Amino acid sequence: MFCEKSLNLIKELDRSTEAMPAFDDDGVRQVFEEMRGLYDQNVAAANDSTADPDGTAIAGIAIRHAALERNKRCLMAYVYNRIRKVRNMRWQFGSILPPEIKANLCEPEIQWFNSYSKTLALYMKSIGDQGLNLAQDVKPPKSLYVEVRSLTDYGKFEMDNGEVVLLKKHSTHLMSRAQCEPLIIQGILEQITH
Amino acid sequence: MSLCQSYVPNYFSIADILATQERVPCKFEMQVKHLGFLDPGSDKRDIEIGTSIELPLWMASVLNSQRPSIADVGLPKVFKEAYRDIMKADPCVVDLHKLAKYFYEFGMNLCMLKHRESAEIANVLVESFKQRFRQILDWAQHSTTEVAESKKLDNTEKIIYQMGREVGSRLHMWLTEGGSLITAADMVIQHKKMKLTQKDLLH
Amino acid sequence: MYVDNVIEGFYNAVNGSRVLLFVNYDIDAICAARILQHLFRCDTIAYTLVPVSGIQDLRQAYEENCEEVKYVVLVNCGGTIDIVELLEPEEHVIFYLLDSHRPTDLCNVFSSSQVRIIGNSDPEEGIPEFDDVFREDSDEEEDNSGEDSDPEESRAAKRMRMSEEAILKRRENRLWAEKRDRIVFNYTQFSYYGKASAVQMFELALSLSKDTTDLLWCAIIGVTEQYLLGKVEKQQYVLDSGTLQGYVSKLSHNLDEDPTEAANSTPVTVPRISFTKDLQLALYRHWTVEASLRHSMYSACKLKLWTLKGERRLHELLVDMGLPLVQSRQKFSAMDMVLRQEFHSMIEKLAEKYELDQLVFASFILQYGFRNKYCASDVVYSMLALLESTGREKSSKDCFLEAMDALSRPKKNLLEDGIEKAKVMLTSIFKMVQAALDMQMVISGGPFLYFIIQEGALNARQFSHPHTLILLAQFVLQAYVMVRKKKATNLPLIASAPLDADEGTCLVVGIPPVIEDSPKNFFGKAFEQAAEKTNARAQLDYFDSSVMKLKMEDRSKFFDALAALLS
Repeated sequence: MFCEKSLNLIKELDRSTEAMPAFDDDGVRQVFEEMRGLYDQNVAAANDSTADPDGTAIAGIAIRHAALERNKRCLMAYVYNRIRKVRNMRWQFGSILPPEIKANLCEPEIQWFNSYSKTLALYMKSIGDQGLNLAQDVKPPKSLYVEVRSLTDYGKFEMDNGEVVLLKKHSTHLMSRAQCEPLIIQGILEQITH
Repeated sequence: MSLCQSYVPNYFSIADILATQERVPCKFEMQVKHLGFLDPGSDKRDIEIGTSIELPLWMASVLNSQRPSIADVGLPKVFKEAYRDIMKADPCVVDLHKLAKYFYEFGMNLCMLKHRESAEIANVLVESFKQRFRQILDWAQHSTTEVAESKKLDNTEKIIYQMGREVGSRLHMWLTEGGSLITAADMVIQHKKMKLTQKDLLH
Repeated sequence: MYVDNVIEGFYNAVNGSRVLLFVNYDIDAICAARILQHLFRCDTIAYTLVPVSGIQDLRQAYEENCEEVKYVVLVNCGGTIDIVELLEPEEHVIFYLLDSHRPTDLCNVFSSSQVRIIGNSDPEEGIPEFDDVFREDSDEEEDNSGEDSDPEESRAAKRMRMSEEAILKRRENRLWAEKRDRIVFNYTQFSYYGKASAVQMFELALSLSKDTTDLLWCAIIGVTEQYLLGKVEKQQYVLDSGTLQGYVSKLSHNLDEDPTEAANSTPVTVPRISFTKDLQLALYRHWTVEASLRHSMYSACKLKLWTLKGERRLHELLVDMGLPLVQSRQKFSAMDMVLRQEFHSMIEKLAEKYELDQLVFASFILQYGFRNKYCASDVVYSMLALLESTGREKSSKDCFLEAMDALSRPKKNLLEDGIEKAKVMLTSIFKMVQAALDMQMVISGGPFLYFIIQEGALNARQFSHPHTLILLAQFVLQAYVMVRKKKATNLPLIASAPLDADEGTCLVVGIPPVIEDSPKNFFGKAFEQAAEKTNARAQLDYFDSSVMKLKMEDRSKFFDALAALLS
């Protein structure tokens, strides 16, 4: 059956809803080979049409062409959906990706991520007079200072006004919201309610 | 930023690609040379006239749309008379996940083929969706944990169910905690969970 | 140095800079910390809160966190030790002590700059005069200066004069030093508890006009904990709860302005505290009546419920109350309405007959919504159980944070969880007491009784925490006294439980004898001296000096030394 390998790529993406699977270089290459094979067969059959008076070759050409289109669609969808996930990662992880996730991306995807980060930073700087950090205050803030609890042994954290806080596991702190928001989103701190 | 899952006209939709992979029986009206391998049962080099092969929908729609038509597309098992009657009787008990994982998408794609029974198929789709939707709404809004019966839903219904649950829990969080609580990003939480399970496996 | 005006001396001083809070692992400290957190949150005073379990822990935490910190607040820790010597801070760091442990270390009391004690000095503590205890080492300097001055005097004459003065001076110093040692010994001999830190913090909140029902409830929990763990005597508790009742009526006055409209004015979800007579039965609202009677120390000891005869008395009591056995074995909330309402009054009536006269005591109840009704002692037991529920996955610091969260109302399920754990804790305490008395495990070691939990014993893990062990020790002593009558009333008890199997350490606590009403505990000093004498590998690490860690192998010779010391 045609297009089985490209379908496998798509199925792999469908299975892993949250995590990003590794970029399947091999799979993509095999799909290209299949496409090339189909194209060659089609060209041969088209050139050979003289030997086929009742037009049955057209059926074969049509089927192979449909398979080609299908392969193309699967590959495009594979790349497109992966890039959407990478874009999402910029907003969730920040501009630096953890190494485990980076290992699953192929080189062009990493380049895409970097240039997206750059474009985003440029755009953020251009808003207003001083620029606006769009990743901050995603939910409307209710207070200037928030109470947070440290979930990991992060170590010393230096704040904008020079104060240094030791973020050890189980310690509770009252810090300014702007400072600790990125840490909360990264999962290092946890905001507590009272 | 969610991906549009609709069948029309999203070229990149994974759900659509998988839905059009479902098989339909095709009765060939023309001989097709060199493609005998498409039929797993036969070992001839060509496909003879009159053979009936189960082919994926994307191929079948191409075969159907050629003039003169290369093959006549029949209905898959799920949309035949017998199952249509079952769906008409009581759609809520049918396990769509086992029967046809992409019931609605597949059905909609089939209707686009302008089959003679398309109107019937469309009717079945709409009616069964209407009835099953009531159930999904009930589960999503009134139960905090995942209902066991939700495993019987097909792909479209599952997405609707999960969205309903997520919206319900967000409302609840807004009502209790005021909505300004900063939380860790979803991907970060998943990433941490994966790391923990990997560590556990290693030990 | 004592800070009398808490607002000026403490609160306004720290306003504007970052504060480092060290909190001890006990309920009073947690309550005080919560009140302080609330106040800091209102005035956005940035703080960092670190839980500390012992002296070493405090030192380590201080070293890690001390960068660029000017104000350090120590809640229920560090009052009884010389802070400046222990932590070696920089010159500009100021320590605020909020410790209910007494006696406060004299270096802290008389420190002029770095250590400030929040609160007033109590004349009953008997803090000696500064001159009696400290004297500048001026005698050494005078000797030296005497040698330098006046070189014209002849050598011999100088020596004569010097030696006479020297001898007199030395004798004087010796007398003064002896007197000083005696005074210090008398002062530090007994360890006891002063005013609850939570109440002090509530009074601070009151003077800042920031008092709320939640903060008052924290203060109530702090006071109740002191009473339930035997840290203060009953008189003190009655006085404290009287003051708190004043605050309660002040706060609830705002709610019930018009009694006729009470039904419409305040919604039921608003928390209310009421001051009522309550029974000294642990967790009886969340448990069955029979279980509660059996596992509460007071009722169990008076009725001797570990014996068969005691069981019969229990059934007699239930019958007298008109409570069928089936009902008494059901959860209290599932009992008949009529029985539930009459329970209180019936027990009071029968209290005299069964010698349970002290069963009724004054306490506070918090109510919010229709379902949530908690008595102060319920919350104390629940938090104790949560605090000491360490397991493989849960470190002690996790437990600390859980206990702290249990006080907040949205996290009610933690409190419920704690109540279940508390039931398990009380049940295992009772079982251990029964085993101790049945198998004669309470042994007389001369001037004291001792009771050792062996390593393989049932539930030995539960008792490797200070608070549970103290509760057990008190229960055992009371029960033993009931059995032996007069003979054992003036003997203190030492209990020991295995702490860490890998390191071979055990936990040792000492409690004062029954006959003395006051909870003044002399074991702190006794442990210290015995450890010194026997070179036992002991760690007097806890802030509560009647609890210590000891290597198991050194235990027997340690006890021998103690016996020699106390006889």
